[in-house]
Parts: sequence; C-alpha cells; structure tokens
Amino acid sequence: MDSVNTIISTITIAKPWGIDIPNYFWFTGSSAAAFIISSFAHVFGWEKYKPIAGVSLLMAFVLLVAAPLNLIDDLRQPGRVLNFFMYGWENFPTSPMKWGVLLLMAYPILIFFEAQALYRPYFVKQAKKGGLLSKLFTFGNMDVSKEALEKDHKKGYILGAIGIPLALAVHGYTGYIMGAVHANVMYHTPLMPIIFLASAMVSGTGLLIILIPLFQRFLSSRKKVDRDMVATLARLLSWFIVSDLVMRFLWLTFSLTFGNGEKYALYSYFTLHFADTFWIDYVLCLFIPLVIGFTKLRNIPVVVYFGGIVTAVGVWIFRWNTVIGGETIPRTTPGYLNYTPPAFGQDSIVSVLSNWGILFALVCAVLLIFPWDEEMEDCYEGVENAK
Amino acid sequence: MEEKNSRRDFLKKGLSTTAFAMLATSQANAFSMKNPGRDAKNPKYIGQVGKHFVMVLDLRKCIGCQACTSVCKVENEVPDDQFRTFVTETEIGEFPDVRKAFLPQLCNHCENPACVPVCPTGATFKREDGIVVVDNTVCWGCGYCINACPYDKRYFNKRTKTADKCNFCAQRVDKGLLPGCVETCIGGARVFGDINDKNSDVYKLLSNFSTTVLKEAEGTKPQVFYINLDSKVEELFSTTQSLDDIVKAEEGFQREWMKTREEAQSNG
Repeated sequence: MDSVNTIISTITIAKPWGIDIPNYFWFTGSSAAAFIISSFAHVFGWEKYKPIAGVSLLMAFVLLVAAPLNLIDDLRQPGRVLNFFMYGWENFPTSPMKWGVLLLMAYPILIFFEAQALYRPYFVKQAKKGGLLSKLFTFGNMDVSKEALEKDHKKGYILGAIGIPLALAVHGYTGYIMGAVHANVMYHTPLMPIIFLASAMVSGTGLLIILIPLFQRFLSSRKKVDRDMVATLARLLSWFIVSDLVMRFLWLTFSLTFGNGEKYALYSYFTLHFADTFWIDYVLCLFIPLVIGFTKLRNIPVVVYFGGIVTAVGVWIFRWNTVIGGETIPRTTPGYLNYTPPAFGQDSIVSVLSNWGILFALVCAVLLIFPWDEEMEDCYEGVENAK
Repeated sequence: MEEKNSRRDFLKKGLSTTAFAMLATSQANAFSMKNPGRDAKNPKYIGQVGKHFVMVLDLRKCIGCQACTSVCKVENEVPDDQFRTFVTETEIGEFPDVRKAFLPQLCNHCENPACVPVCPTGATFKREDGIVVVDNTVCWGCGYCINACPYDKRYFNKRTKTADKCNFCAQRVDKGLLPGCVETCIGGARVFGDINDKNSDVYKLLSNFSTTVLKEAEGTKPQVFYINLDSKVEELFSTTQSLDDIVKAEEGFQREWMKTREEAQSNG
C-alpha cells in the first residue's frame, strides 16, 4: 500500500517562456507551410496550385518577417541582441537557438529574392508606367524577352528548391529547440521537430484557406472566390491533418505508455487537461476539419472557412499546450505552475496582439507593392486557355 | 547630372561612414568563442584551478529551519519571492507512523550540465573548479537555460533581468570562506569542500556513506550529493497536481479571492 505523503511547503519556480513563444512558433510554422504550398507550383510544377503560389509565397514572407519580433519581445534583455552574434560560438553545435537565428535571417531574404524573380516581369510593366517602387524591385533589369523570363523562372525554381529544406529547417529547428530539452517531459521527444512541421502544415493551410478567398473576393480584379481552389485546399488540409494525427499518435502512445518514469508526470498533465485537450484540440480543431476535407462538405465554402479557422486556432492552442503546458509540469518541486499572460508589457497579450497588427500591416504592404493580382489573373487565364 | 552625382556622393559617404561605425563597434566588443571575461582569464571566471567543489547534504541532520534559504537571499541579494535555494517540507505517513522529510535544494553544479551547452551567448559556463556560473553582463535573457535545467534551479532575476542561480557563493569561496548556506546551517546538514582534497569533509563523507543525487537518469551528473534521500519525496513531485505553496498563496489565491470578492460585490 502507498504511504500517505503530503507536501507542507515548497516553492514553485516561474518559467521563462510566455505567450510570445507559442505565437512565434505558430508564425514560423504557418510561414513554412505557405512556402511549401507555393513550392507545389514553383518547384514541383503542379499547375493546379499555380494561381495561389505567388500569394502563398508573399504570406510566407510576411509571416517570417513578423515572427522574430516575438522572440525579441520575449528576451529579458533585448538590448543585448548583439551579444548573440559576438559571443558563445563554442556552443554552436549544442544550442539549436544559435542555428535558429541564422536560419531566421537567411530564410526571409531567400523568399524575397524568389518573389522578386516571380514578379519581375510585372514590376517591369508597372515601372514602364512610372512606378518608382516597381522600378526599384526590378533591380534594374528591364528585359522581358523570352530568354530573360526563362532565366527568372529558373532562378525562382532554384531558390524554391533551396527554400524547401530551409523552410523545413526554419520551423523544424523550433521543434528541435523543444525536443532537446530533456528536462521537460512534454518537450523531450525526437519526434518534436516532425510534430511541429506536421502541425505547421495544418495551421498554414488553414490560414491560406481563410486569406486567399478574402483576397480573391475583395482585393482582386476577379472579385470572386475560386471555389475549386477552396475545395482543393480543404482536401489538402485533411491530408495534412492525417499526418499531424499520425505524428501525435506516435508521440503520445510511446511517451504515455512505454515511457520511463517521467510518463507519470505526463500522465498527470493529460488527466488534468483532458477536456480541453481532447474536445477542443483534437475533436473540434482536427477531426471536424478532417471530415470536412474528405467529404462533399468541402464544396461548401463557408464550411471550409470554418474548418480553416478552427485548424489555425487549434494549432495555436496546440503550440500553447505544448510550450506553456510543458512548462507548468513540476520537476523537483511539487504542484503545477499557474501561468496567466499579463495584459500589458513585455511578453503579454497586448504584445501578441501588436505582433498580429504588424503582420496585418505587412500583409497590406506586400499586397500593395507586389503585383500579385495581375500574376494570379494570368495564371487563371493560363489554366483556362489550357482547358 | 550634377544633382545625380551629388546624391551618389552622399550615398557613398553615408554608406562608408555607417560601415566604419559598425566595424568600430564590433572591434570594441571583440568576437569571442566564449565570452569576454573568460577570454581575459579573469580569476572570477576561471575559478580555483585544480579544485573541484561539491556539496554533501546530510538529510538526517536537516530540520527544515530555512536558515539557508534566508541567508542565501541576503548574501546574494536575491529579490523578493525568488530563491536560489530552499527547503521543501513534506510529511511521510500518517499518525502514529509519521515523520517529516526535508529536501534542501540548490543548483547541482552538474558535471555535465544541461543548461550550459544550450546557452546561445556563452553567458553561462562551468568554471575550472566545477562551479557553474552566469555572467549577468552578457546574458540576454532568452531563458533557454532555465527550461533546460532538470532541477528547476534557475530563474529570471527580477532586478538584473538575466538568468540567475546558486553559484556556491563563489564570491565567498574565492576568498577562502564557505558558502552562506553552509556557514549558517545549524544542524550541519550542508557540507561543502574540494573533492580533490583527501582531507576534506566532503571527501570523507562521500567515501564513508552511500550517497545519491537527484534525477540521476537525466545524465547530468549532479555534484550535490544527498545522504538519506527518500525516493518517496521525489515521487511526490511528479504526482502532486496542485499545492497551497507560498507563491501561490501569496499571488495566485489572493488574486482569485479578490476576483471572487469583486464578483460578489458587483452582484450585490
């Protein structure tokens, strides 16, 4: 029989990562997913995805420009950013954070150049009408001959091909950061980078399902939503959900059932949070969108938009449950940590909302600067002509 | 043409000035594999070469008086509600077969620390005498080391806004004194010394008694050893879900009570 053990007094240690971190993971993940979807057309040559490839690429860019701001906000000494670049390089092989910052700098630059190659002919067209910014973005190359366009295409293909592993790495490393923390029973699994990538594909596709119809309906010259595309994305989303569920199944079944002594801590966490994890994260945010994409429901745009929203939100909740949930689990002091994000200040609800505000501003900026509408229209015309 | 040239000149000059300024600043904070203090071979950073400091906690002698907890806060100017060391107090069994069990906790100054290799700025490192320290002039406060510690013995210091932890009172040890908690331990439960010195108390205790460490499976090889550690106490940590501990009672519950009171008032 177990003896009765009681805690009389102890200290619950506060943990470092707050609301900014799940938000950051959500941004980089969705960016990686948007990039992969744009690469379906640019690298793999799937014509079906061509019309949305450009916009997806731009979304990948803005998400990744906004994402690192979360990290800077999470730093307690943001003024010491230079120290990261100056010191501590002996830890490079063992500190995934070190790799991450380098990836975070390389990736948006690559996307920018890929987008520049894709949109250059359109920039040339606008520059001839006198657009100053457009002239700048042609990088002085006004040649629109067939050879020049072929060269752009090739450049886009090469950058896209380099970008795929880079996109996977820029989000995969975040999972690696977590997986490397053997002190945390929730984080510590070699599957973590893969789980993060799988759920990222879900949130990114969910986000595009919401954004692309909005752009098409209200901002494009067509003024109408491509319903076939919505259905295609819904089906794609379902496949991504399948891969996400498989990864999570492997993770949880191994760690909860066959794990070492630490499984008790994990078990106690999931008992404590069974209702919100199971009903919200799994049933509402994964199973229902899965059903929508695999059935005829995907032909009803409103239902698909609902699926897109809940998956995007669901993956955010999953990031929260993993990052914050993992931190609340006790290690050498008993009792779960209570964490409620502060309303104002660093690492607060307002700082995350501000980050979304920056994302919104960046979306508006790229939609204004890049001739995405014209390019999308040309793609649709190309598809219709082919028919 | 004239105007274009002057603009180009302006750009050229501007760019070269910026580049020069950037170069000058980077020269001032020279690039380092480690960190400036270690590169300069500052004795505070290098420690006492040839020694290896460890602590032995004889739990048979601990009475949970928290003298170590208080002296540590004073010696190291630890902010309110934050602790480098503390003693967890538990009760094992039921009347009449009951006893108190205490677990003094502090940084384990691991042989293979989980916190050090993940630090992206090189702010935290192990001195040559085994003491793991944080350079709070370099730390940028990302918190990776805090999450990496399996013992939860790191925290963000509210005052310095950097990662902070027990440093075995290196400032005292380097002057030949004992760490504050050892000096003040009235039961003599905390013993500190150089394990390489065969005449030291820690060497004798480790040779003559069976000792154990916390969370051995983490592979961190802690250098804080316990005599008479009860595995039931450690088991409690992973299974207790909620707790009326000091911090929660002071911050969490109070807030909840206030909310309830406000709700009650607004409902008349």
